Amino acid sequence: MNDQGRQILQMLSEGKITASEAERLLDALGRQHPDPTPSAPPRTKTRPKYLRVVVNSTDDPGGPTSVNIRVPLQLLRAGVRLASLIPPQALTKVNAGLEQSGVPIDLTQLKPQDLEALIDHLDDVTVDINDPTSKVQITCE
Amino acid sequence: MIPQLVTVGYRRSNGRRRRLFLPVLPLVLLVSPLLLFAVLAGLVACLIFRVSPTAALLGIGRVLWALPGASFELEEGTTAFLVSVR
Repeated sequence: MNDQGRQILQMLSEGKITASEAERLLDALGRQHPDPTPSAPPRTKTRPKYLRVVVNSTDDPGGPTSVNIRVPLQLLRAGVRLASLIPPQALTKVNAGLEQSGVPIDLTQLKPQDLEALIDHLDDVTVDINDPTSKVQITCE
Repeated sequence: MIPQLVTVGYRRSNGRRRRLFLPVLPLVLLVSPLLLFAVLAGLVACLIFRVSPTAALLGIGRVLWALPGASFELEEGTTAFLVSVR
């Protein structure tokens, strides 16, 4: 509600105007400043092109450390497609190595189309990690 | 679009800054004889590991085409390092 509307209600509460007069004044005010229609078309959202990773840390004795990385999302897609060329026997060896290291991930189950879908939905990803000595931000822009 | 300019910058602990602007196309032309060997080596590697050379070339091409816009900046104390691809 704007100031004029508040003023009308104030006058009503003080008894300077009647309820019907207040209603008429509020109606006139509404015609003068119509509310934005909710059915207005939404703004077109531009698709982000880059993934930005910003790390700021102050716990290093050598001085504050900051890392700022900008990766084009197209590069991630290209990397995923390139990774799909890894021969199955190499993936089996990598899987065995990962399992030995305590990371039981089966890379053969990762399909390029799944990874691409994941990248497509990175648009709305925002990661904020705030630590007393360090800060990590991952956003799409 | 293929990368056109790679910027490499660094700042040493004594505060001296250096920035190198590397034009990609002239450099590629300069090292093209070596690139020919690299392509041949890659072809042999593809045959050994049973990877389709065409798919590998396409994949590398896609990665190269997607590189413009990438940047990496690192600052630690008085030293700094920057790589940017345009």
